[in-house]
Amino acid sequence: MSTFKIEQRENNAINVLDLKGYLDAHTAPELEKMFQSLIDNNRFRIIVNCRDLTYISSAGLGVFMAYIEDVRKNRGDIKLSNMSAKVFNVFDLLGFPLLYEITTDEAEAVRKFQNPK
Amino acid sequence: MRRDMTQRTSGIKKFLLLSLSALLFLAKFIGDVVVSKLDIEMGMLTVLQVVLTAGAFVCLYLYIEKVWRRDRNVVRKMGFALVLTLVVGLAGLILYTISSTGFDIKNEYALPQGFESIVFANLYAVVFGTTALFVLLTVRDIIMSKRRKETKRNFRIFLLVFLGAIVVTLPYRPFESGPVISVSFTLLIFAILMNSFRLSWIVYLTKREKLIAMSFSFILFVLYIPIYVTSVGESSLIAQSLSYYSRQLATFISGTTLFAATYFGMTFVTTLFHLPTAEAFDRKNIEVLSLHNLGKLITRVFDFQELTDLVTRMTLEVCEAESAWLEVRDEEGPSRGMGRAAENPESSPVRTVSLQNIDIQDIGAIVGFDNGAIRRMVSETRRPVVIDQVAGDDRTKHVKIIAGKINSMAIVPLVSHDDVIGILYATKTMEFGFDREDADVLSAFADQVSIALENSRLIGKSLERERLMRELLLAQEMQRKLLPQELPSLPQVEIEALSTPAFEVGGDYYDFTMLDDEHLGVIVGDVSGKGVSAALFMAEMKGIFLSLSRRHTSPRDFLSEAHSSLLGTMDRRTFISLIYAIVDLRTGVMRVARAGHCPMIFRSGGMTRFVKPTGLGVGMGSKEFFSRTITEDEIRMSSGDVAVFYTDGVTEARQENGEEFGYRKLEEIVARSGAGSALDIRDRIVLAVDTHLGHKPPDDDLTIVVLKWLSEHTHP
Repeated sequence: MSTFKIEQRENNAINVLDLKGYLDAHTAPELEKMFQSLIDNNRFRIIVNCRDLTYISSAGLGVFMAYIEDVRKNRGDIKLSNMSAKVFNVFDLLGFPLLYEITTDEAEAVRKFQNPK
Repeated sequence: MRRDMTQRTSGIKKFLLLSLSALLFLAKFIGDVVVSKLDIEMGMLTVLQVVLTAGAFVCLYLYIEKVWRRDRNVVRKMGFALVLTLVVGLAGLILYTISSTGFDIKNEYALPQGFESIVFANLYAVVFGTTALFVLLTVRDIIMSKRRKETKRNFRIFLLVFLGAIVVTLPYRPFESGPVISVSFTLLIFAILMNSFRLSWIVYLTKREKLIAMSFSFILFVLYIPIYVTSVGESSLIAQSLSYYSRQLATFISGTTLFAATYFGMTFVTTLFHLPTAEAFDRKNIEVLSLHNLGKLITRVFDFQELTDLVTRMTLEVCEAESAWLEVRDEEGPSRGMGRAAENPESSPVRTVSLQNIDIQDIGAIVGFDNGAIRRMVSETRRPVVIDQVAGDDRTKHVKIIAGKINSMAIVPLVSHDDVIGILYATKTMEFGFDREDADVLSAFADQVSIALENSRLIGKSLERERLMRELLLAQEMQRKLLPQELPSLPQVEIEALSTPAFEVGGDYYDFTMLDDEHLGVIVGDVSGKGVSAALFMAEMKGIFLSLSRRHTSPRDFLSEAHSSLLGTMDRRTFISLIYAIVDLRTGVMRVARAGHCPMIFRSGGMTRFVKPTGLGVGMGSKEFFSRTITEDEIRMSSGDVAVFYTDGVTEARQENGEEFGYRKLEEIVARSGAGSALDIRDRIVLAVDTHLGHKPPDDDLTIVVLKWLSEHTHP
């Protein structure tokens, strides 16, 4: 029913998480574990690439809210990129663009890490 | 009815048999008297006498078989045989002493010396014959109590030989002998011996029973030797009486007594030799019974603590240990196995769940040594470990504090589905207290314990699930009650609403309030997440709304205050999306603020649009940031204007193929609603969503609030 996968890679010393599929209450714990392990390993610069993310529920949104503070406390950030219009709308309604940097593509997110303003 | 009939017919049969045999005995008696009075040719009448005797005893035998109770208790049977023998023996003795006349042995015939002899002979025959029958049947039952394939066959052979020995005496006179008789007698001895080794039932008696059996069999053996001698000697009066009555019967009786003497003699000797090992055997039996009992208890005890306490208590019993304790691995470890080669045993927390006659500190000292070396050892090998001398063994010599109390130990792993789920420990004050049998028994015991523990856990989980289900339903009920029980009835505005909860507890919320006589507040919200916590936040939101809404004429101020209040209670991943509109009922001016919620749909004149003021969800961001970013829109309503509030349960309602209902569709329905009433519009939306879902129930809560402004007079 809810298929979800996270692939991890690096891009310019930034950890990139590729989310694929449905991020809902059932699959949110997987993303949580991922964030937790990144934080445990002192990786605070994270880009979440949402190109293949087809759906996100409030539980999924909550996961970002749960970890953003820790990451920012350590001078890092979670940036979001490559959202489809539908997924962006969900983030947008909640006001995520006010709190997070949401870019159209990954490269832009990388640039933002390199040149924070 | 049928049972009564068969019981009655069998009752009739029994009566008939008994009467028939009694009659035949009587006939024989009369016959004997007649024969003695007359001087008739013996030949023919002998045949008649034989037939009568045989008939009488056959009927008697058939009758006895019908009333014979198959008591399985061998010792009780022997007791019965003993009592019978003593009583009959005594009776015989009394009869013997009071009789004065006997028999003349002439030409190997036995001729009665008087009427009295005949009477006594008949008495002896019936009484001893019947007794012999009982004794034979008793010995048969004892032999058959523990039978093997050959047992029945061997007994049948005996019966055949016995019958043969009886039958071959037919052509002979009462005291005549011959080679055939000798041969048949020899065969009989062999047949008796062949059956006298069927003594395996002795093994299974308890020590006490063995002692009793030994005593009984000794007495029986001692009694039957003289009884046998008395039944065969030519000079014995009893033998004479019996042979006179019927040589066949005499053979039967003497054969039976010989069998009894032999069998009970063998029984005595065998029980005597079994006594030294009787105690060890009893002990083994107790072990087996304990295992069996545990097996039964397993199916009845589900409470985990009760079960573990039972296990440790039974461990003491099963191997006669002085102390015992049980450790189990908590399931919430990262891996489901203990001591797998690559894994770190410390990562699998183990706790002592039950102990008998030992302190938890002592346990810690024994097991904790070298970071649980003993545990590791047992977990890796998955086999029980026995330590014969605790003080001297490398693995335990550190255990000085409890010297004296513990000198040998057995440690047994509990394995289920290839995982070590726990460890059972038993200790004894004695060195070398656990032998190989103990280790085997403990292993078998441990297997059953593993099953029991797994069962208990599974049942616990299932009960937990049930409990959660019930809580869920309770929370749903709670939630329903928090929503408005009735809609405000106002002349200026038509209000209709609907909220259908999904099966799982969701977090939709809507409410109305009159801030004062002229201001109506309408709030719609959606608590993130599901379950009881969502319902609780909703309840909190309602409380905040009811208590704080009157403080603010501006919806964004209210939402800011709500955010501040809730920040303390909510965790970081939870938020509540809200949309709050305050309508001035005199002017028709609506101020609306949106905290992360779906945008309001507003239709005025021919235009329909989404009203989407900026704002974070309540619970997101700091107090300052939230207040800074939230905005408010102001809308002037004219007569006929419609405002629709809803939750994402509407727009995200998903068909089977995954397609969502969507914002466009919703907007269209409102746009095309024309002059429809608020109720009309609400129902159109509901219908459309239902159609979209294929009339299947939705996954998420659905909430729709429709406002239709009616008033024509608007004050600028």
